[in-house]
Amino acid sequence: MELVRRTLERYVPLDQSDWERIAPYWTEHAFSRGASVCAVGQVEQRFYIVKSGVQRLSFPHDGEDLCVGFAYDGSWSGEYASFVTRKPARFDVVAITDSVLVGIDHEALQRLYNEMPVMERFGRLILEELLVGRSTREIEQLSLSAEERFDRLVARSPHLLQLVSQKDIASYLRMTPETFSRLRRKRS
Amino acid sequence: MNTQQLIDNLGAVLRTQISRAKEIQQLPAEVLLRRPAADQWNAVEVFEHLNLSSGIYAKGLQQVFAKRASTLKPNGEFHPGLLGNYFTKSMLPKPGGRIAWRMKTMKMFDPARNHGASSESIARFITLCETLLQLLQQARTTDLNAMKVTSSLGPIIRFKAGDAFRFPVAHQQRHFLQIERLVKG
Repeated sequence: MELVRRTLERYVPLDQSDWERIAPYWTEHAFSRGASVCAVGQVEQRFYIVKSGVQRLSFPHDGEDLCVGFAYDGSWSGEYASFVTRKPARFDVVAITDSVLVGIDHEALQRLYNEMPVMERFGRLILEELLVGRSTREIEQLSLSAEERFDRLVARSPHLLQLVSQKDIASYLRMTPETFSRLRRKRS
Repeated sequence: MNTQQLIDNLGAVLRTQISRAKEIQQLPAEVLLRRPAADQWNAVEVFEHLNLSSGIYAKGLQQVFAKRASTLKPNGEFHPGLLGNYFTKSMLPKPGGRIAWRMKTMKMFDPARNHGASSESIARFITLCETLLQLLQQARTTDLNAMKVTSSLGPIIRFKAGDAFRFPVAHQQRHFLQIERLVKG
């Protein structure tokens, strides 16, 4: 639970009485490696913070799993669009290592947004952050070469190379596993 | 064996398992994910394995009960089938909690080859045991010899309804020993 408090406090200040109202709504969930956190077609019930482990966000396309992102220690996890819209998820979220996620369900988070201005502010700030991250990635996807995309990833999230399979990273970078492995050799 | 007594005994085991599962549900997630070795199951995977395997019997029993249970005369005696009895006994832990022999899991009951396991697996296990308990209540007024259910060992082996209760409960007992070892650490 300390993790949740620390994470929220990266965005907004919380005093003890705020925290006591927020804390009871967060619960821990264990996902064994390979377990589905949310599957395409389901409605995402929770918004998660990652306590440990790595999850992959992907969508099935043409018989292939296109990897669009990863969540790991301290980041958000789950199928956020489905969580917000209450519509069926378009992405699969799978725990690729044993994972502990701390989550809050939709109704509880809405209640906190309604009752606590500080939480509504938190909600706005993470949304802004997600949006900025999204548009950065979009620009990178459209304008950078495979090699440049690789370098960006290594600079920004070097630990991913150790946590995630080469196949998933290659898919995330929109390159073939062969190109990925060639770049990797070239850089090491 | 006496049918009512069999139902009482199986019901008691299931109720113990439900209450223990509810306690285990409250343990820290890290404990539920603890593995003795990288290639061995953690507690939630054992629960999911039980869901996959016992689920076959719950579904089979539900189907045959819906179709036939009310048409049969209650039978006070249950005579275990040859195979049903053999496999149930081989599942049951020996005195002192020893496991008779280890066996390899069939792919269809391996959580990693299905949809994986999570805290939800424990919740589903509890629901499954409650379903079996309800079916046991219905079993009091029918004939557990006359109805047959496809076993988890493959479609060619069919158990009498009574054995379709006894086997999964024994299998669960066996795996509860493993779960207790895992959560104790």
